[in-house]
Amino acid sequence: MWLTSRLFRSYLYRFCLLWIAGKIANAATAAFLKLPPLAFRPGTELVVCAFEVAVLVAFIRRANEDILLGNIGLRLPVALAPLVFVHFVLSLSLSLVA
Amino acid sequence: MIAADSITVSLGGRAILQSAYVDAIPGKITVLVGRSGAGKTTLFEILVGRRRPDGGQVRWNGERVPRPSLALLARRGLFYHPDRSWLALSLTAADHFALIGRESLGVTAWLNRRVGTLSGGELRLTELALGLALAPKVALLDEPFRGLEPRHREQVADALRRMAERGTAVLYADHDVESVRRTADRLFSMEQGATRLVEGFRERPLAEWYHAWPI
Repeated sequence: MWLTSRLFRSYLYRFCLLWIAGKIANAATAAFLKLPPLAFRPGTELVVCAFEVAVLVAFIRRANEDILLGNIGLRLPVALAPLVFVHFVLSLSLSLVA
Repeated sequence: MIAADSITVSLGGRAILQSAYVDAIPGKITVLVGRSGAGKTTLFEILVGRRRPDGGQVRWNGERVPRPSLALLARRGLFYHPDRSWLALSLTAADHFALIGRESLGVTAWLNRRVGTLSGGELRLTELALGLALAPKVALLDEPFRGLEPRHREQVADALRRMAERGTAVLYADHDVESVRRTADRLFSMEQGATRLVEGFRERPLAEWYHAWPI
């Protein structure tokens, strides 16, 4: 029910925007260091993903939506865990396309 | 049902809570009263695990809860309403009821409006309707009447009574004499971080309430 809810979809939408911002910053840094900009580097991806999740968590807490999640029995790490998978799928797909 | 037992909290060397105790009983409305800044919100945040106390413990059905969290307690049947809005403003009331998989109760007039466009009273009623739909065993509400106009206050009082009639242990914090007088079955008073159970408060005349009130 959680993964099909509009609340999760709104988090997914915001997370995709954060992923785009993270990917632009990551690609710019890689180009500056003369590395392939869109290559999949697991360590870097992990750091960028952690940053994206942290920003989303800050938004959620600022809006007190962590209380809404808590009231339906969902802890934030559990609620947002699927987004880590989304990050890696998007980054890996982009590196394969590029 | 739920109890905060001997809770102690200090901030910057100042004692906020001193061996504070409060509990909620099924089918009863228990009210915690005290001045603004007395520590009511801090005590509620400790009950739902949003803040760690320096000492004391949270109990659920008499058993100590080692690391309480809202999600953990919600799975056991707790509903928490803080003193600020906590719904997703970009979603409609209907989306929230869909999220919990329950039918909407009493908010049909604005069911399909985005929560961010509702008035303060409508928002509070929607939050409480969601709480009712969850059919909690325990409801913790921090100042549920704050900022409401009289007709909405009456509706909120009705919602609390309905919860208690269903067997929910309702515990709310407030400092409005009239609201408390109309709804409370039990009363805890909080002064300087300590709590006490007030006996025989219903028999007191209204004038005495205002003098006896710790606000």
